[in-house]
Amino acid sequence: MARLIKTEKEVEGRYTEQWVVVEEDEAIDQWPQGPGTVVGRPAPRQDGHARARGQAIYTADLALPGMLHAAVLRSPFARARVTKLDLSRALEAPGVVGAVRPDDCHVLSLEPPFHGAPVAAVAADSESGARAALDLIDVEWEELEPLLDPEEAVKRESLLEDPRRYERGDLDAGLAQADVVVEAEYRTQTVLHNSLETHQSVCRWEGDTLEVYISTQYIWGVRDSIAGKLDLPPDRVRVVCNFMGGGFGAKNSPGDYTYIAIALAGQTGAPVRCALTRREENLASGNRNSTIQRLRAGVRSDGTLVALEGEYLNAIGWEGFSGPTYGPMEMLYACENVRTLTYGAKLNLPPNAAFRAPGFVEGTFGLECVLDELAARLELDPLELRRRNHADHDLADGRPFSSKNLLECYRRAEPHWARREEVRASSNGPVRRGTGLASQIWYGGGGPPSYAWIRVGSDGRVTVVTAMQDIGTGTRTAMAQIAAEELGLPLDRVRVELGDSARGPYASISAGSSTTPSMGPAVRAAAADAARQILEIAAQRFDLEQRVLSLKDGNVVSANGGSWPLEEVTGLLEDAQILGKGARGPNPTGMRVLTFGIQVADVSVDVETGEVRVDRIAAIHDVGRVINPLGAQSQVEGGIIQGVGHTLTEERLIDPASGTVLTQTLDAYKLPTIADVPEIVVELLDIPDEHLTNLGSKGLGEPPIVPTAAAIVNAIRDATGADVRSLPVGREEMLRALAEAREREKRAPAPA
Amino acid sequence: MELGNGSVALAGGTDLVPLLRDRIVEAETLVDIRRIVPRGVQGTTIGAGTTLAELEVDPEIPQALREACSLAASPQLRSMGTIGGNLLQATRCWYWRLKFPCFLHGGDRCHARQGITREHAIFGNERCASAHPSDPAAALLALGTTLRTDRRELPLEELYRLPTEDDRNVTALEPGELILELEVPRPEASTYLKAMDRTKFTFALVGVGAARFPDGVRLALAGVAPIPWRLDSPDDLERATPLPGTAFKVELARPLIRRALEAVG
Repeated sequence: MARLIKTEKEVEGRYTEQWVVVEEDEAIDQWPQGPGTVVGRPAPRQDGHARARGQAIYTADLALPGMLHAAVLRSPFARARVTKLDLSRALEAPGVVGAVRPDDCHVLSLEPPFHGAPVAAVAADSESGARAALDLIDVEWEELEPLLDPEEAVKRESLLEDPRRYERGDLDAGLAQADVVVEAEYRTQTVLHNSLETHQSVCRWEGDTLEVYISTQYIWGVRDSIAGKLDLPPDRVRVVCNFMGGGFGAKNSPGDYTYIAIALAGQTGAPVRCALTRREENLASGNRNSTIQRLRAGVRSDGTLVALEGEYLNAIGWEGFSGPTYGPMEMLYACENVRTLTYGAKLNLPPNAAFRAPGFVEGTFGLECVLDELAARLELDPLELRRRNHADHDLADGRPFSSKNLLECYRRAEPHWARREEVRASSNGPVRRGTGLASQIWYGGGGPPSYAWIRVGSDGRVTVVTAMQDIGTGTRTAMAQIAAEELGLPLDRVRVELGDSARGPYASISAGSSTTPSMGPAVRAAAADAARQILEIAAQRFDLEQRVLSLKDGNVVSANGGSWPLEEVTGLLEDAQILGKGARGPNPTGMRVLTFGIQVADVSVDVETGEVRVDRIAAIHDVGRVINPLGAQSQVEGGIIQGVGHTLTEERLIDPASGTVLTQTLDAYKLPTIADVPEIVVELLDIPDEHLTNLGSKGLGEPPIVPTAAAIVNAIRDATGADVRSLPVGREEMLRALAEAREREKRAPAPA
Repeated sequence: MELGNGSVALAGGTDLVPLLRDRIVEAETLVDIRRIVPRGVQGTTIGAGTTLAELEVDPEIPQALREACSLAASPQLRSMGTIGGNLLQATRCWYWRLKFPCFLHGGDRCHARQGITREHAIFGNERCASAHPSDPAAALLALGTTLRTDRRELPLEELYRLPTEDDRNVTALEPGELILELEVPRPEASTYLKAMDRTKFTFALVGVGAARFPDGVRLALAGVAPIPWRLDSPDDLERATPLPGTAFKVELARPLIRRALEAVG
């Protein structure tokens, strides 16, 4: 019987209460720890060949009959007022079929508040025709003074939300107890997602239904947002995303381009594609906002953290959200006295968007660098300092963790950490080598609602049906593995149909490291439902008790040695099908579900030229049960590579006078190349969380990028004695930090 | 076909095509010069149509030029880009590329000087703070290269000029004039060192070309001035006029110059 209960749901640190219908989820025990027949064993992506051969159809590949192309007139100014906007000449241009202005579409504005804000758009029968028509729009701008400086914004109280204040214990008392206090200011830069597939959608009216083909992380969220905005019943909006070229957090909502395509499709009666160019992508599709972090930490000589204080300034942009930069400081260590204050500055800059562990990447950088500064002052091993401050419950509210194996991660880090003597000794002339580490904390428990169906055909082949999306992480393959394990089938007999809100049940967002822990249990429950039906049928067919039957290697097997191919049972039904359905159960009541880990980085620094190379990163993470070790390794490698870019080379630059985004192309915005990628050693604990669902799996999308910057910068300090304070660690920052360290050395020579 | 008057010469196209796409260069006609301009190496003479990929592996080519070629761009771009085109490539200054009405575009001021300048000039930057992006140009300048065009011979140094009030060009080529060949003297030893933001595939923050000849060592820098920059001696570095955002380039150039000098003996 269906039971209605309330459970707590978390997405990227934001908790909500959620009604959930529970069926038989509790009846399904977790599989024993360790690899099963399919789950826990490396599986190549099921769609790998299709992707490599160019056969996978991404939103960018869609060409619907009669499809028009949109081009968007965007503000060249950080703040302006449009004093004249005449589309008539653009509408007369060859091939142009339609045009929209702010009266026609709510995302367009006559008072653009940031460089790249959309003002008008045209639709033409070719992309080049649409772009050419933009030049024919008669527009006049009155340029206004932009607000660009986040500290100035705080002074003027230009904030996106009220300042957030948090305090536990007594900070001043904690500081009074401290034997060593470190104060430091750390800064992180604005970085851009730069997914391979730019933000885009194709929209078409089919009768009374709006079809939206979109590169998205959240089919159902896009559906609900559009339905709400257009006042349509949600089921009249169909959202499709079969294959996707990356999102990293920036593709959780419809975006201005989708509403522009919808408006133009409505006006012209034709399907309309609106795809951002790479330049638009780097202007106005979201970013990880820059931060200023003023930190203070006090520690007793025995290494006990007695005070942590952080003032965080998130330079958000015109819209977006103030991310949990404070999160690591409040959550990572067992410190009784913590105070944080967080501002979210509203500026005439492009809006931020979630970017792989938003807030925690930035906050971990500051906090974990300060920890190493404390360790240096105490002359205490940085790994030991972290061990001594291990939190065995949530300090904020006393809740237990559903599972936490961070100490085991630390233990597994020891051999990598022990290499540091050898790494340092390999320094050669001006090239100094060193090792650093940093801890990781992040969410990743997922939650309901999430549903899946299983279809077992008479041929004994299985289809998983759920309207989730695979954003490139390989969840399609992971879901097939879970179904195959439960149904005792080889992996190649299971396929997954996803990506279409009209063809499958509701599925959760692919963000917040939640896809596997949200969807996996639903898929397993559906497979268990189908397996139960198969065994019931087999029991009747072979006149055996159901309890002696099980599914193994594609067969129905009985305890007394009988074995029948699955298709012999399902074949009885001819074209009838066995349908299983499953839902994600609730999260464990009163527990904090989090992911943990540690990374150890080896670096080389040329102390004359400031060149930094990351030689090796060992990543040890605790994310519960691992479904696909091959896919998981790939996720960790991707996170670390993105982290290396964040640490060393990537930075969106703004002209301080005009607010113009200067880094619009990939020669100026420097993503790492394969030559910048270090050796990456991945170790996942693979210990199921016994309290979390029928799988015990947590998410892995975000944890690997969280500690990378701090581990690298701590390794730089180990190698050179230089305190890097701001990201990225370009030559100027590295040379500045080295010069500062030399000055310090001169003033107070180190003891021999 | 006459060059100039709306027609533009196209060889590798690795810089020209993006400039056309951004409408920084306007052309009515593109003239394919790949069959007109010599390609290949004969003794000390290099055809201007020789690709960077061909030069970086040619043992007859002085080491500085080979290294400069191999440190430039990506293998794909080096397989298309020619050495003649490389000498003429435009600055990466973001203000210029984004078409700010700057001095180099004919405007009255340099927007970079009050803006973000980490990739900009430390020499010759009074009117325009852009940096010349070519690695091979600095190597060739250090090597004392002479050019032969369809009209004249000129030392590479005279190809380049700082933009002035009257003439905002950074080269002295006449409209329609084509570089045909490069005459590259053989040094006793030479090298090219490059500091950049990534390990590969990015323009120089500072590049240093050094070549030793019987009468002394010649030095030239990339990425430090609107044109490739000759240094008469390492001490010339102290005459740099960095902007607040480019002061680090002086610090960066110092060890590179020392290492280059050590390398050529």
